[in-house]
Amino acid sequence: MKYSLPNRPLGRAGLVVLSLLTTHAATAEDAKPTENAAAQPTGAAPAAAPRQPRPLKLGGPGIDQERSFKPISSGKWTGPRLADGQPAVQGHWSNTIANHNNFTDPQGGIINDPNPNRVAKGPREERAPSRVSDPADGQVPFQPWALAKVKDFQAHFHDPVQPQYIEPLARCAPAGIPKSLYWHGYQISQYPGYVLFQFNSGTRIIHLDGKPHLPDNIKLWNGDSRGHWEGNTLVVDVTNQNGKALFGRSGEFISENGHIEERYIFSNEERDRYIYQATLTDPTVYTRPFTVTVPARRWSAKDQPNGWHFEVEPANYLGKDTLKEPILDHYERVCAENNGGFGLVAEESAKK
Amino acid sequence: MKTKPTQRPTLPQTVLLLASSVLLLALAAHNVNAATQKIPRLANGKPDFSGIWQTTSAADYDLEPHSNRKDAPPSAGVVEGFYLPYLPKALEQKQKNFAERDKLDPALKGYTLGVPRGIYYPEPFQIFQRKQDLTLVHQFGHSVRTIHTDGTGHPKDPYDWWLGDSRAHWEGDSLVVDVKHFNDKTWFDRAGNFHSDALHVVETWTFLDPNTIEYKAHIEDPNVFSKPWDLSVMLYRHREKNFQLIEDYRFTLDYDEHYPPKPDGK
Repeated sequence: MKYSLPNRPLGRAGLVVLSLLTTHAATAEDAKPTENAAAQPTGAAPAAAPRQPRPLKLGGPGIDQERSFKPISSGKWTGPRLADGQPAVQGHWSNTIANHNNFTDPQGGIINDPNPNRVAKGPREERAPSRVSDPADGQVPFQPWALAKVKDFQAHFHDPVQPQYIEPLARCAPAGIPKSLYWHGYQISQYPGYVLFQFNSGTRIIHLDGKPHLPDNIKLWNGDSRGHWEGNTLVVDVTNQNGKALFGRSGEFISENGHIEERYIFSNEERDRYIYQATLTDPTVYTRPFTVTVPARRWSAKDQPNGWHFEVEPANYLGKDTLKEPILDHYERVCAENNGGFGLVAEESAKK
Repeated sequence: MKTKPTQRPTLPQTVLLLASSVLLLALAAHNVNAATQKIPRLANGKPDFSGIWQTTSAADYDLEPHSNRKDAPPSAGVVEGFYLPYLPKALEQKQKNFAERDKLDPALKGYTLGVPRGIYYPEPFQIFQRKQDLTLVHQFGHSVRTIHTDGTGHPKDPYDWWLGDSRAHWEGDSLVVDVKHFNDKTWFDRAGNFHSDALHVVETWTFLDPNTIEYKAHIEDPNVFSKPWDLSVMLYRHREKNFQLIEDYRFTLDYDEHYPPKPDGK
């Protein structure tokens, strides 16, 4: 009997480890210099010439594929529907701008990274905008005490001398909200009364069935979600959060008193696009409500599976190749605790 | 093995018996048909197992017959033939597991329970079903399993998985699921009954009525057992008002106190 890890570079557990450990490699790969940039003498880029942003290939392996994206407005849904009337949006989705390294500068790399990218990232305005779309400065309107905690986390992320500096995701905790929407790819499935999100770490059942929220002393990593469709938009009310999942390696957070109102706005023009908009309210941590915006697209059999956005492989058709649509199996979504370099491994090596 | 409710046995020879048997059988068939005709179905006519289910059996304590223990209620067991046909070496391992079950049971860590244990572990799980698949979300450990009903087969170059790889087909109104490509990290119960990564499970899911599923599992593992064996439990639908799954990532409890950040002095 064979085990996954020795046989393939990307076993299920391996994928998790890889994604936690190899962010530098992945971003460096993505940041290979263009021919133009390589031809320029080091440190002598002419100031007058417009900088050529590194090319991003949609469908490529990198975590960041777009620097900007078109807005999508809420309105009617003109696309296909399921038998129960829901807009049909099932499939494999992932965000297009980056991962969880940095919440407010998604393509800016890890804050205080002791091993930053070999290739300069260019000025801020050439990178994707902050996921904080309101307020306009792109920053979370933290209360002073909370901002101090975030800065403290950022200072110690690479030197986790205390347990609170270890990102919960590295211990296989669910990524929570909103991080689940921009960590790895995920699957959306729909059923009468439900929308089901299968993330790489955790699962969310969105109730469309009109049941009331859970009693408020029950606190959950992914909160308690009640949704309904308004035309092209899935509106989800999220309560009962435990506040423990961070928004990224940059340490932003919400508390147990937080409330999140999510809007998943699906495009009528481009069927494989939606924009996630969430309003986060928390009088314990923030000075005002703020809005998070994350662009996403659907991946399909036309795309190359990769270890980030599209972790699937072709199904075994048993010789029947007459199927109209290629079928894709996604990998098992089981994360064994403390298997990341930022988890128990880091904790134990710190003891030595 | 499986009985088809519509299939009638050969009638006896005598006329008297024949007449009464016909009457009884007709009544029985009517009852069975009435029950199965009421079961929920998908648009394609297949039984729809969507819902939240849970066993009331003591299977998770110990699959085999056992008296009461401090850590388990008594039970006559759920295994056909009562006892698991261990190979001698494997039986030694099982006995070691049993002796240290309060430390070694993988469920104590809150990890994914595997197949079939996740099904009869005494916590609810929810089935989401479409034509092409069933997705099982377990409250315990919040593990997620997909059973494919799209005619595809096991992968040609598989990994070893906690929950194996599940491919199913329909035999009448029964869902028959072939599950293999497991790892060896899960147990069958709290009593230390175990398997290797050669585990092969064939499940049969059948509605007895709209709110009861008869769940059977045929177990093979030549590294551990001298012959295949079978277990059977009932699953009941949760019908309490507003019942829902509540996420249970209990393996995170050990470090729960470190998050989220709080104002100093609180």
